[in-house]
Amino acid sequence: MNRTLVYFVLAGLAVVLQTVLLPVFLRTDLKPDLILILVVYLGLHEGPWRGGLLVYLMGCFYDGVAGAFPGLHGFVLLGIFLAVRGIVTRVNTESSPLLLLLVLSGTLLQSVLLAFALDFFRQESVLWSQIVWQLPGQLLLNFVAALVLLRLIVWLQRTFLPRSALPGLRKLDSRYES
Amino acid sequence: MWEWWRKNKPLLLGGVLLLVALLWYSVSLRQQDETSFVENLVLRMTGPAQAGLDRVISGTADLWGRYLWLIDTAAENRQLQEENRALHAVVTASEEIRLENQRLRRLLDFKEEQKIETLPARVIGEDASSWFRTITIDKGSEQGLVEGLPVVVAEGVVGRIVRVSPRFSRVLLITDASSAVASLLQDNRARGICRGQGESLVFDFVLRQEDIHVGDRVITSGMGGVFPKGLVVGRVESVDRPEFGLFQVISVVPAVDFSHLEEVLILLREAS
Repeated sequence: MNRTLVYFVLAGLAVVLQTVLLPVFLRTDLKPDLILILVVYLGLHEGPWRGGLLVYLMGCFYDGVAGAFPGLHGFVLLGIFLAVRGIVTRVNTESSPLLLLLVLSGTLLQSVLLAFALDFFRQESVLWSQIVWQLPGQLLLNFVAALVLLRLIVWLQRTFLPRSALPGLRKLDSRYES
Repeated sequence: MWEWWRKNKPLLLGGVLLLVALLWYSVSLRQQDETSFVENLVLRMTGPAQAGLDRVISGTADLWGRYLWLIDTAAENRQLQEENRALHAVVTASEEIRLENQRLRRLLDFKEEQKIETLPARVIGEDASSWFRTITIDKGSEQGLVEGLPVVVAEGVVGRIVRVSPRFSRVLLITDASSAVASLLQDNRARGICRGQGESLVFDFVLRQEDIHVGDRVITSGMGGVFPKGLVVGRVESVDRPEFGLFQVISVVPAVDFSHLEEVLILLREAS
């Protein structure tokens, strides 16, 4: 229950950052998708049922502040979560380069699922051309955001909670990587 | 059979979950013109945080942009700098008030030109995603707002309200890919539909034989039932007549600078 609450607080923080703070500094329509990074993390470290339900609810809440299509982000984020779950048994989930790679792959999958859900189900909406135009910038922003967050969280953990262990972040600290 | 089920269970259940989510999204599209309970709840929860942070950021950015940088440039004389600081603080405050006054006066002039009753609102947040173009404003159903009302500024059309909570609302900008505005060219009265393309607009369904020039002004036609006739949408940026096909490909630059939206006007009337 506590962990679920923490995830929702993190998602709320991400939404406020993305809607108010980041647009002021970035001065562009592009902004890093912090919710996507959280979903990738959940995919690596939460079970399919609990994680899937959490991600779907998160997506439905995300619809309240992004776009105007109820259920769209629930579907898209769930798709990304399940894709991450699909490979989770075959990889080392506590490797930081993997997290970065998955954020990049998640961004690509997100754009494919968005384009499919909008252009296939709503004929008057033509999003794919906009997505193709914006995708390189979005990939770069998400990658940089994931990198910064990873370093920041590991530093915060080392500084303030040296004895506790965040799931999946125990070995992401470069001291433990071979 | 049981072995096969056990082996493929995660894949099958994942697929079923995804299919259910897709079906729910598909069903929800039918009610997308109304604000759902969850969306209302999210607006209620995030709105105050957005409004508070927006106020803090505006104040800090103002201080940083107009005050602290000036301290660095006037570092030669400590005493003069102190005086400068005080003077600049006053100048900054009055300059900001003057600019705000100018913006509001333009809005007021525009408001007086409108025959429809209007309501001013402040922009407190942008869309959380990079793929969509919406903004959040600090007025809601308590002030009489409903879904479908048009939102404008003095320069032209901004968008329409798509989600409403008691104190906050979300506006779909005309540059969003799912936005379409019934429009016409002011000079030759050619009709078409202006669709959003992220940063610009595309003017669809204008027949090949229509004589259109770069710089022509595009206004609302009033045919869509959302925007009243005659509001400025933008200017023609480029015209392309393909070798085949019925229509021209026309690109339009919006009249409104969406990156600098701070205050907007909502045209109050019965939503269609």
